[in-house]
Amino acid sequence: MTRYVMVADLERCVGCQTCTAACKHTNATAPGVQWRRVLDMEVGEFPDVRRAFVPVGCMHCADPPCMHVCPSTATGQRADGLVTIDYDLCIGCGYCAVACPYQARYMVEQPGQAYREGRMRSETQRENPGRLGVAQKCTFCSDRIDYGEQHGLTPGVDPEATPACVNACIASALQFGDIEDPDSNVSQLLAAHKHFRMHEELGTDPGFYYLWEDR
Amino acid sequence: MRTRFLEVDTSKGYLLLLGLLGALLAAGLGAAWIMEHHGHHVTGMDNQIVWGLPHVFAVFLIVAASGALNVASIGSVFGKMPYKPLARLSGLLAIALLAGGLMILVLDLGRPDRLIVAMTTYNFKSIFAWNIFLYNGFFLIVAAYLWTLMDRTVSEHAGRVGLFAFVWRLILTTGTGSIFGFLIAREAYDAAIMAPLFIALSLVYGKAIFILVATGLFRGTGRELDTSLLSRLRVLLGTFIAAALLLTAAQHLTNLYAAEHLAAEMLILRDGGSITQAFWIGQILLGSLLPMWLLLNPAFRGNCGALLAACVLVILGGLATMYVTIIGGQSVPLELFPGMEISSSFFDGEVIHYAPSLPELGLGLGGGALALLVVLVGVRVLPFLPDALPSSAAADD
Repeated sequence: MTRYVMVADLERCVGCQTCTAACKHTNATAPGVQWRRVLDMEVGEFPDVRRAFVPVGCMHCADPPCMHVCPSTATGQRADGLVTIDYDLCIGCGYCAVACPYQARYMVEQPGQAYREGRMRSETQRENPGRLGVAQKCTFCSDRIDYGEQHGLTPGVDPEATPACVNACIASALQFGDIEDPDSNVSQLLAAHKHFRMHEELGTDPGFYYLWEDR
Repeated sequence: MRTRFLEVDTSKGYLLLLGLLGALLAAGLGAAWIMEHHGHHVTGMDNQIVWGLPHVFAVFLIVAASGALNVASIGSVFGKMPYKPLARLSGLLAIALLAGGLMILVLDLGRPDRLIVAMTTYNFKSIFAWNIFLYNGFFLIVAAYLWTLMDRTVSEHAGRVGLFAFVWRLILTTGTGSIFGFLIAREAYDAAIMAPLFIALSLVYGKAIFILVATGLFRGTGRELDTSLLSRLRVLLGTFIAAALLLTAAQHLTNLYAAEHLAAEMLILRDGGSITQAFWIGQILLGSLLPMWLLLNPAFRGNCGALLAACVLVILGGLATMYVTIIGGQSVPLELFPGMEISSSFFDGEVIHYAPSLPELGLGLGGGALALLVVLVGVRVLPFLPDALPSSAAADD
């Protein structure tokens, strides 16, 4: 079995938000929507205080609350663990957006327009009406993964088969791969470093790991 | 004495009210069209407050629908014969309120055009999907119940169907409360007490609306109404308010006890601005304590004005309760990393401020208008209303 997960090394992330920009560019998300966003956190107590930048988004949970609450089966799960949304089945009730513990879901009601003066050509050309009025979220760039698998590439290793945010990370803080493969980059990173996941206490089994060393 | 049921006449007042409610409904549909045409960004809703004012009205009406059937249940299930003549109106009002609530809910969807998808593609793990069954089932069961009440040839089944409807509505309100109770992500929800709390609230809202509608219809059509019959509901209504208040107190005290829910409670009880005001002034003072005083104070016994005032306050308080529950619950920033202060370019860690817009209010009022229109048209075309309910008919309690 394959389960794709993402690993963020918080010792490496500098909070540049290049991942956010790369995601927006790749997925043409509307203004105000960040499928990949970066939290700015303070850790520790004075005088031992550090800033930590934490990339977040859809955790592609193994047991996703958003999928369980979806009344119309629009939210589903692939065999490789990716949590998906069928835009044609979503009725836009918003229950998944309220149910997600990671604030990872968005409802977009109008086509994107970054500037008041009018929509740019790129915005018009990349408009996806199917995503209006429904829930949307990070896909782990499933189209790239699918393309890579069809062409014998390895997601997380070959850029063409890897999520855009991982490719764009300037410090290689983001890594992607198959956690079920002990030789994958993510498995080796997790074996060698301390790590945690968001809201593990909820039992959602998130597919997004954070490397973090106590100092 | 035998009760006669008669349709109401088309008086000038009837037509005026029909026109007024029709205008409100048209305004609601217009508001829905604006929201559908331009998108929800013209409302106060955003990616933090996904459920706005329309949901406040919708959930209030749906919860009240279940409780409105209570008067019929008192007659059929609990054998209080004096209430039997009011059972038909009780059933009609229950259907009408549910229709109004569902109209709002459906028109507030991101894709209302996909209603057929919601009705044909079910995820049976979703309490929301179960609620679709429960709502549709409620329509069918109450319609069947009304049939047994109105057709002498099947009236022998009224008790059994009435009992089934009684059980079904308890399950329905449990389902509605569980929509919030199952939300593990939200500190303000995520509690099993939401289901019994919603049952108690349904009994309060439904009964208050029933008393107002029944009084209005009888007085408006010049029919004799033994107000002592409605006055007997005073103590019951006051008791249900006390029960809802107790469950509300248990909900908040339990949350205050659990450190993980403390921030959410502080926002609702102390620091939430309009949400805090809606809780203390709307839900507790106007919606609970004042009506209880009007209903249970012996000085107001037999005072119809006090009863009706209490019912109006209960409805206002009910809307405030739903506002606190739905808007307040979403305003609490999600605890992404417990114990950490978080900021981002996406409002993470910030209390969300929500300002309802006119289209949202219009849609909400439109749903209420639809409910009353259904009642008004119903009593005109079918014999739902007794021609009189004199005190002699109410003697046997």
